[in-house]
Amino acid sequence: MSAWNFENARHLLTRCLFGYTRGDLDKALSYSTATDFVSKELLADKSLPDPPGTWVAEAPVANNGTVDGTRYRDLTFWWLQRMLTEQTHMREKMVLFWHNHFTSDREKVNFPQHMYQQNMLFRKYAFGNFKQFTKDVTIDPAMLIYLDGRQNNRNAPNENFARELMELFTVGIGNYTEDDIKQAALALTGWRVDGLKAVFNQNGFANTNKTFLGKTGNFTYTDIIDILFTKDILANFICQKLYKEFVYYKPNGAFVSEMAAVFRQADYELKPVLQFLLTSDEFYRTDYRGAKIKSPVELLIGTLKALSITNPDWGYVTEASRTLQQQLFNPPTVQGWIGQRDWISSSTLPLRGSFTDSVINGRRLNGQRLPFSIDALTYARSYPSSEKAELFVRDVTDYLLAYPIAPKKREFLLDTLLDGTISENWSTNTPMADVRIQKFLRTVMRQPEFQLC
Amino acid sequence: MKRSEFLRQLGLLSGGVAFGVQGMPVRAFAQNPLQLDLEGTDGNIMVLVQLAGGNDGLNTVIPYHNDTYYAKRPNLAIPKTSVLPVTDQQGFHPALKTLRELYDNGKVSVVQNVGYQNPNRSHFRSTDIWQSGSSATEYWTEGWVGRYLAKAFPEFPMALPRHPMAVQIGAVESMLTLSGMGSMGVVFDNPESFYQLVKGTPAETDPIENTIAGEELRFLQQIALQSIQYSDLIKQKADTGQNAITYPNTNLGRQLAIVAELIAGGMETPVYLTTLGGFDTHANQVVNGNITNGTHATLLKTIADAVAAFQKDLDKQGLADKVTVMTFSEFGRRVNQNGTLGTDHGTAAPLFVVGNTVRGGFVGSVPNLTNLDSNGDLKFTNDFRQVYASVLRDHMGVDVATTRSILGQEFETLPIYRRSSATLPSADGVVLEQNTPNPFHDTTEIVYSLSKAQYARLALYDIQGRELLVLREGSHDKGTYVVRVDGYLLVPGYYLYGIQTDAGRKVLRLIRT
Repeated sequence: MSAWNFENARHLLTRCLFGYTRGDLDKALSYSTATDFVSKELLADKSLPDPPGTWVAEAPVANNGTVDGTRYRDLTFWWLQRMLTEQTHMREKMVLFWHNHFTSDREKVNFPQHMYQQNMLFRKYAFGNFKQFTKDVTIDPAMLIYLDGRQNNRNAPNENFARELMELFTVGIGNYTEDDIKQAALALTGWRVDGLKAVFNQNGFANTNKTFLGKTGNFTYTDIIDILFTKDILANFICQKLYKEFVYYKPNGAFVSEMAAVFRQADYELKPVLQFLLTSDEFYRTDYRGAKIKSPVELLIGTLKALSITNPDWGYVTEASRTLQQQLFNPPTVQGWIGQRDWISSSTLPLRGSFTDSVINGRRLNGQRLPFSIDALTYARSYPSSEKAELFVRDVTDYLLAYPIAPKKREFLLDTLLDGTISENWSTNTPMADVRIQKFLRTVMRQPEFQLC
Repeated sequence: MKRSEFLRQLGLLSGGVAFGVQGMPVRAFAQNPLQLDLEGTDGNIMVLVQLAGGNDGLNTVIPYHNDTYYAKRPNLAIPKTSVLPVTDQQGFHPALKTLRELYDNGKVSVVQNVGYQNPNRSHFRSTDIWQSGSSATEYWTEGWVGRYLAKAFPEFPMALPRHPMAVQIGAVESMLTLSGMGSMGVVFDNPESFYQLVKGTPAETDPIENTIAGEELRFLQQIALQSIQYSDLIKQKADTGQNAITYPNTNLGRQLAIVAELIAGGMETPVYLTTLGGFDTHANQVVNGNITNGTHATLLKTIADAVAAFQKDLDKQGLADKVTVMTFSEFGRRVNQNGTLGTDHGTAAPLFVVGNTVRGGFVGSVPNLTNLDSNGDLKFTNDFRQVYASVLRDHMGVDVATTRSILGQEFETLPIYRRSSATLPSADGVVLEQNTPNPFHDTTEIVYSLSKAQYARLALYDIQGRELLVLREGSHDKGTYVVRVDGYLLVPGYYLYGIQTDAGRKVLRLIRT
């Protein structure tokens, strides 16, 4: 990395957080190096948040009417609120990363208590030890439900979890056989969910020798995971996924191998490998700036932060995230969201634009008023350059767009703001200035560059 | 230079086309002289129904006279008395009642045991294989439909065709419609809301730098242009088109109703993709003790009722002749049930091809439940790309060479359609096809065609050429003939079969396992 400057700080924040405020940028630049900022802010230790309600500890009750739906809604709002108020800490980003890795979904996991527990497990291990994390996830109640582990029985094993454990969670396809799946499934038998807890039932366990990845023994789930962690490929598999999330969706194999070496050396602690990644020259290569397509949640939360909205209507944001194909607690398949170009179709791209429009207008697409909106004048005046049209346009686009916009486009945006008048006559006190600012902001956010980060 | 490279050097996918003021929606493409009419597709349409998750083939088309089926699935096998019998060996799941009616009218071809060599049991890898049309050892990133469309619309993306090349009902574009030329599909959930949505999307045409991030920006630009280009047209076609019947109120029913509306409105899009999820039935595939009900039964009923409604709708509107529906799923499921009233990932499975142009009936032999692979899964007999080749050639009218280049190699077509290219007479007027399936165990079919009335003799020979059986002999009218050969007549090994006419003799080899 050449220097710890505005562009590099913006790049780091845009990748590690759900958008950022101008205050976040200032804070990052108040540190003298990226190394310091990463270790003392992004990856700092932090206590766990309070739960969304006392219900999280209540025993699940079947056929509970609309209660579970309401609780799922509250849980979603609660998580979105964590993301909006994360400041310069990347834990929530990692929680979503793990939700997208060790997937479970609310359609199969009926009780929000289980998904809350799993979400907290992700928070606990956000940058913890991946080996212990994998063991804990294996007997996490939501996971036992989602991939049928609770029904996996010694007489007729269900391969669902065993397969995904290897294919998606640890070593990746091609590094095990169909027999390994069957044998691992046997070792994973015996687990049930009782209320909010996972319990082991010795009678359901296949108490026999299993041969797994060339080793034989009366293995249990921890043995299976220990054996998987003897495979070097595991670190590469996980680091590749981290790379794709934080750097670029087409991985640089040589660099991923460097990451994997760090990961193995740290005995699968995540913090050292993240610290390594986020301070590497590779991460800050200028060609990666703006090469990531924002996920819906990055776009939604990022837009709120960009516009300094602190009291959004979470119901509306939740609805938008669903339409944009990222409903929290409900990934489309066990593989999770693919990301990047998969987010964009001829429908979702215009939908993204209609969301940013609506937040700026304070109205939905159908004209219905939203309970939150921005005050355009106050917003503009929060920039020191607000009275100097050209500088103001530059500051706003520098702040909001990771992809460097062409001079011609900057001019077009300036014309949009000025709306017929000339730069010299611009002031936030001129009549209709608020309408022009709104139109200018909408237009900035309608640029395809705004979808990149 | 590859064309994509050439385009990249132009700096812009849409180079050379006139555009409006930046930031203003423009619809300049309609006048483009490069535009090609969709006649390349023969006006024919394929509607794909993806069954995501791996459909349990053995509980869809049921081998209800096979004791092994009942032995291996004690809690899951559909009872004989509930099966809707179709042949003396196989029948449909009772939830497929409406599909059965279509079948009885000759509008359903059931292709048996469809799969591929070295089957992969990962949802994601196998879906990629099915969507890209690769073999299990190749990793392709383009869809077979995308490659077909890239051939049919050579001007894309320099100019956008007048009508969308492919429409996917949904929100996330499938790999099926991706090609090296970019994304070929327009994706939306509902024509009216799509139209409302796209209003206000800026059409961008400024050159973009050839950088890593520039590639992504260019992708966004192209998607925006496609939405702008097509959203009015789609709305207009949906407004003009009508459904002649009421569709079941299901997700798939709604999707197919939109497709029918667009077709009826005169949209010339050759490919539609619809999707139904939920087939990954590891657990509780059936209701305990009530085997004909449960998750899988509901899914099957959803397919049958939606497809039957679609067919009926098009029939009523006189549009059915140009449309074919094909279902597909990434794999079938294990022959053995598992311990949780479900089935784990398997391999080959049947699929349905529906429409007025299909031959109707079963294509290929009954799955063999005893000759399984080492994992306890079925061995495929028909390669899924043979089905694609058949749809492309016999329904979409794509020629042999183009089909070969789309699929990467030559695949024999299957007798799925009545007007089968496999049975189109060659120059000398006689076509003898490779039997399907081949190799076979229980039964196989030989198809031959004659372009004029003549005397013909079809016979089976041993490998030394000694005649074993005369399969059919006599005066024939012009047309296509299907002859069945039963495996029990033959000991395992190689055989020859041949047709003798005045024009000469043609001989092919078959294998009985």
